[in-house]
Amino acid sequence: MSSADYTTKELLATFISHQVRDGERVAVGAGLHVPRAGILLAHLLRCPNVRLYVTMTFTNLTKEPRMEPFYTVYDIRPAKWAEAYVLHDDFQEDPRLVSDTFVVGALQIDKFGNSNLIGVGKDYKHLTFRGPGAVGTLSMAHYVDRYYLFVQSHDKRIFVDKCDFISTVGWGEGGPAGRQKLGIPGKGPVYCITPLCVMDFEEKSKRMRLKSVHPGVTVQQVIDNTGFDLTVPSDVPQTVGPTEEELRTLRERIDVEGMLRR
Amino acid sequence: MLAERKSLVIGEAEAAEMIRDGMTIAIGGFINSSHPMALVRQIIRRGIKNLTLVGAASGGLDLDLLIAAGCVRKLVTTYMGGEHYCPVAPFFRVAAQRGELEIFECDEGMFYCAMRAAAQGLPSTPWKAGIGTSFPEINSEIKVYNDPISGEPVLAIPAITPELAIIYAAHSDAYGNVQHVGTGFGDRAMWRAAKKTIAQVERVLPNEEIRKDPRATSLYGVDAVVRAPYGSHPFAGPGYYIEDGAHIREYVAAGNAYAKTGDRNPFEDYLRKYVRDPKTHEDYLEVIGIRRLISLHEY
Repeated sequence: MSSADYTTKELLATFISHQVRDGERVAVGAGLHVPRAGILLAHLLRCPNVRLYVTMTFTNLTKEPRMEPFYTVYDIRPAKWAEAYVLHDDFQEDPRLVSDTFVVGALQIDKFGNSNLIGVGKDYKHLTFRGPGAVGTLSMAHYVDRYYLFVQSHDKRIFVDKCDFISTVGWGEGGPAGRQKLGIPGKGPVYCITPLCVMDFEEKSKRMRLKSVHPGVTVQQVIDNTGFDLTVPSDVPQTVGPTEEELRTLRERIDVEGMLRR
Repeated sequence: MLAERKSLVIGEAEAAEMIRDGMTIAIGGFINSSHPMALVRQIIRRGIKNLTLVGAASGGLDLDLLIAAGCVRKLVTTYMGGEHYCPVAPFFRVAAQRGELEIFECDEGMFYCAMRAAAQGLPSTPWKAGIGTSFPEINSEIKVYNDPISGEPVLAIPAITPELAIIYAAHSDAYGNVQHVGTGFGDRAMWRAAKKTIAQVERVLPNEEIRKDPRATSLYGVDAVVRAPYGSHPFAGPGYYIEDGAHIREYVAAGNAYAKTGDRNPFEDYLRKYVRDPKTHEDYLEVIGIRRLISLHEY
C-alpha cells in the first residue's frame, strides 16, 4: 500500500486526527464520516486516554481490533462498548462534561467563521433554501474549548461575505476580542476544513486565512471558489497526508467498509 | 376486600382519542430512533389538525410525516432531517420555505431550557449560548435581557408545556413504570415538562420484572401505556430492532419527488399504503411483512 494513493477524505480524516489531544473529552458525531474517522484514528494511534462520546455513550476503543459500522448518532449497537450513558438532556445540565472540542457543519460560513445551518435567503419567513436547523451546534460551540468548521464542498454559495443568518458564532464582527465582546468563552473556531484546503484565522483581524491546499489544488482555485477576500500568505504549503501507519489504521481498523474511499 | 392497583394499559384507539385538534404534543425519540409511530399513524388517520409539535430535541421524519399529512401548525425542534438518509426533511423544507409552518427556532440547549422551565413552573430559564446569533431576531419568543447578578446579557427561553407527551420505550409494567433500553435520549425532559404522558412500548412486563432493577426505570409514572410491538418502525427500537433503511428511503424518495417537482402522488401512495389503508398497528405490521421485520435485528 502506497501512502500516495489516499483519497481527499482520508487526507481530511488524518488532518482532523492531528487536532485531538490525549486525555480530553471528544464528541464523535457519527453522521459525518470524515471527522468520525479522524477522531477514532487519533484515539487508536496517539490518544488512548481520550473520553470518546460515541452515540450517546462514553467509551474507550483502544482494545477494539476493528470498528464495527455505526453511522448515526442514535445507533444502539456501539452501546456494547459503553462505560457510561449520556442522557441527551444532561447536555444542558453539564455541557462542559460532554466534550472539549466539536465539529460544526454549515450551509454558509462568513469571513470571520460565523456559520449558518438555519437557511439561505433574506426573508426568514420565505427562505430560498430551508436548512436542517442548528441541532446542538451553537451550545456545543459555546461551551467547548475550541471547535472546527467542516464542510463537504467548497464554493461561493458556502463561503459568503455575510451569512444570511448566524446559528453559531465564530469571531463575531472580527478582531481578537470578537468573542469576548459577546461574552462567549472558548477559543472559537480554529480551522475551517474543506475538500480543497484548510483555513485558519489571522491573529489580529480574525479573518479567514489560507493555511494549506490539498495535493492537486491550486491557491487560485481556492480564491475562485471563495465568496469573500481570503487572506493568502506568500507561502502556502500542501496539506500533509497520512503516513503508511495512519492509512493502514484507517483502512483496516476504522473505515473497514471503505466509506472514505468512495 | 383489598384495594386493587389499576392497570394503565389502553388500546391505540383509546390513546389517540386523548389527542385533539390544536393541542401541544411532545413526541419522544431522536432522529431515526424511538418514535411512538403506532400513535403517530393514529393521529394522521383521525385527521387531527393544527398541532403544535414539541421535539424531539433533534426531530426526525416522524415529524415530517405529520407535517406532510396536514396535522401541524407549529413546530418546536432544533433539527429536521434523517442524517445520511436525508439532509433536510422534505415536507418540512417546503412548508418552511412557503411560510406555512410556524417554527420555534432553537438549538438543543435552548430546547431543554424550555422543557426545564415547564417542569419547574418557571416562565423562562436563562441560557448563555445564542448571544451574537440570529436566534433572538428570528424567534420573537426568545428575549435577551441583562442578568441581574452579573449584568451580562443572557437569553430568556420561555417555558413550553406539552399538554401530552407520547414517548416510545422498550418496556413498562401495567402501572406505568417505564424502562428504556439505551439512554432514552431526551425523553425524560419531555415527560417532566408535559401535563400527561402516554408511553408506547414493545412489551408490557410483569411488575416483578421492573422491581428486579428499579434503577432502569426511566419514567417513574406515566398516565397510560400502549403496547405496540415493532411500534417505532420504520425507526429503530433500541433493544429490539434497528431502523428500516429501505422503508426510510422509500419515504424520502416520495418526499423528494414532492419537494423537487411538486408531484404529491408518490407520497399519497405511501400514505394510503402505510397509514390510511391499515386501520390498526397490527394491519400496518402485516403490510410491512414478517420477513422485513425479522431482518432488522441489532447484531
